[in-house]
Amino acid sequence: MNEDERKILALRFVVVALIFFALAGIEGILMRLRILNLLTDLFDERHFYSMMTAHPFVGIYGWAYMAVMGAFYFLVPYVLKRDIYSKRASYASFWLMISGLAIIWTTTFVTHYAPLYTLYWPIPVAVELAGWNPAAIFSFGVGVALVLAAVLVFFFNMFATIFLPARVEMNGGEKVGAGYVFKELMLTAFNLDKLWAKVRGIPHYTARVFNYPVFVVSVFRGCVDTTLNALVIGGVGVLLALFGAAHLFSGSSLSYSLIDPLVYKNVFWWGLDLIADGNVLIFTAGTWYLLVPLLLNRQLYGESVVRTVILADLVVSLFVWNHHMLADTPQPLVLQIQGQIFTWGELITMGLTMFAVLATIWRARPVKYSAPLKFVLVSITGYAIGGLAGIIQANYASNRFFHNTQWVIGIHGHIQLLVGLSLTIFAAIYALFPLLTGKALNEKLADAHLLLMGVGGVVMGLAMGLAGTQGMLRRTLYPMGLGIYEPYMGVALIGALMMAAGFAVFIINVVRTVGLGSLVKLFLPQK
Amino acid sequence: MLVSLISHLAMYPQFVIEVIYFGIISVIVAFIVAFYILTQRGGREVEADGGHEGRAGMEKGERNWMLFLFSVALIGNILFLSPILPSARNALYEPKPATTITIYVKNYSFQLPETPIIIPANTPVEFVVISEDLVYGFGIFRKDGSMVFQMQVVPKPYVNRIVWVFEEPGAYDIRSTEYSGPQHPWMFVPDAIIVEGGKS
Ligand code: HEM
Ligand SMILES: [Cu+2]
Repeated sequence: MNEDERKILALRFVVVALIFFALAGIEGILMRLRILNLLTDLFDERHFYSMMTAHPFVGIYGWAYMAVMGAFYFLVPYVLKRDIYSKRASYASFWLMISGLAIIWTTTFVTHYAPLYTLYWPIPVAVELAGWNPAAIFSFGVGVALVLAAVLVFFFNMFATIFLPARVEMNGGEKVGAGYVFKELMLTAFNLDKLWAKVRGIPHYTARVFNYPVFVVSVFRGCVDTTLNALVIGGVGVLLALFGAAHLFSGSSLSYSLIDPLVYKNVFWWGLDLIADGNVLIFTAGTWYLLVPLLLNRQLYGESVVRTVILADLVVSLFVWNHHMLADTPQPLVLQIQGQIFTWGELITMGLTMFAVLATIWRARPVKYSAPLKFVLVSITGYAIGGLAGIIQANYASNRFFHNTQWVIGIHGHIQLLVGLSLTIFAAIYALFPLLTGKALNEKLADAHLLLMGVGGVVMGLAMGLAGTQGMLRRTLYPMGLGIYEPYMGVALIGALMMAAGFAVFIINVVRTVGLGSLVKLFLPQK
Repeated sequence: MLVSLISHLAMYPQFVIEVIYFGIISVIVAFIVAFYILTQRGGREVEADGGHEGRAGMEKGERNWMLFLFSVALIGNILFLSPILPSARNALYEPKPATTITIYVKNYSFQLPETPIIIPANTPVEFVVISEDLVYGFGIFRKDGSMVFQMQVVPKPYVNRIVWVFEEPGAYDIRSTEYSGPQHPWMFVPDAIIVEGGKS
């Protein structure tokens, strides 16, 4: 691929990601209204919960993953000054992702299949009790497996792009297989070569990871997390597809007890947290480390510490899953305490990441804030207030009254995702826009977008959190009336509408700058 | 003031934590706003690009910040593992239960041993909750909606148990705190527990 082809690839990913963002937002607003016991004629509980099942897939994979994939397909070759390893694989990941999500969305919409994305065993296969259609279990499982197959294809493409050319140079152009990529990945991702040098007593050894820019280091370290995650969640998809298929063939369901519910839950959260607590923080850090020095034309502050922090984040993320199971009393107490202590480690890694970024900005005084830099600053604020809520609920004792309340998903989950993560993605979009299209977006409209999304996200999250401490549960409709929770949910709706308005401002900005025609042309075959 | 805070910590620890949390995030937001304003003002132009060597060790400010973060993590862990919170007292420093109440959950409904369940105040009570089919939750709520405690209900062969000491007399509701299918919102038993005696 040449640079122009990579630009088109990246733009296609980003435009599709934005469509998914809009879809997730519409679902969010509809669910907010339903929680307020409005629209009850339009959709019943089954419909509500099936929407809630599709929502995180659309939001996380459709929006966040697709945007990140598009950005990295452009940025990694740009930073390393080389081509993407495989064009076919790039488009394979694009179409696998879209078809997987389309299957998940259609299945939940048509059949009202609603296991929710946590998929706690045996809820997803409880055909008789919950009233699922076995065909829905099968197609949902296939959809999930396709989405995670897309993720795997993307990451192997990334690893090959990052590590293969180096290898070719080293071996004088001789072809080497996937084994080399894997070895190089493990050595550099975990600094194993440095460890080996220490063991053998080699003095002044510089770890091989220093051959790569910080941004690329965060990409491949984050990809280790995400690959393991895709194997676990994709595996759950395959499992569901098998159960669904077995039911369709034999006419009755397999025994649930083939799978141990507690072991399953441990594996599930171990895999899932590699993204939430590992990859998201690592990719975000990498994006800040790339954007902020670029925007300020300065060197990143404390680069060696920053590299260590990315490694620490990778290691910590392998041991924090238990903070999702603090309310499970059959879980061994050792794991509970271990999960709590490791999770506090995230305070240190996040704190150091933010310090490096803020110190870089501080040293560049006087700073003229461009749109992407403002987005980064508000994103840091979002991660700080959402992350703090995360640490608070991550303790064995405090989780007893935070777990499964609106606090977890509002003040923590949604502020992390909408103010922390999404604003960093938008920062990258604002920064890349001139590179990809040759035109810059309007700064005034960008300010309005930032203000509406940042404030709207925090308002929604805090309102949900306050309802949570009053005892309001997540994923729970209150058909007999919301009672004291009603005003909080009203304010949360206002926050959601502010975010929607912010997104509308962004779309207007894009369409005004490049025109609707060129957006459509992007998806036509290129000459 | 202090007495009311401490008694709140015992009954409604989530509200005390929430107040502390809002205090800290106000400081964070104020800091970022100040940072945004101050960084637009002049700085020392002398320190041009390359003023900082990439691979050098830690700077003093960064090291102090890291030590601060470490101490916060250490103190945080100690506080949350100490018996300050009622949930820590009852879970980590579990009192010996005086009675056991066994509750079965099946097909989206709680099967209570008696309705309502009568419990004496200030007495350790063990709840054993067993699910015959799906994953559920078991939460006890005051009449004002606030949560006293909860746990997950992992299905058989697992047994879920928790010991609790109720200090306030009165009626309590039971609600499933975990989604287990679209029937989940109806897993609600008002006035399932009556706590008798104790301070009123
Ligand atoms: C400072 C880092 C973080 C900490 C300490 C942390 C801690 C936690 C804890 C303890 C829970 C479980 C709460 C419970 O179920 O009782 C949780 C849930 C959650 N976290 Fe985080 N987290 C962190 C980072 C993130 C990030 C970066 C994201 C997303 C971008 C995220 C998204 C979520 C979501 C969506 C849930 C709800 C999961 C569910 O469905 O049960 N977290 N977090
Ligand atoms: Cu987590």
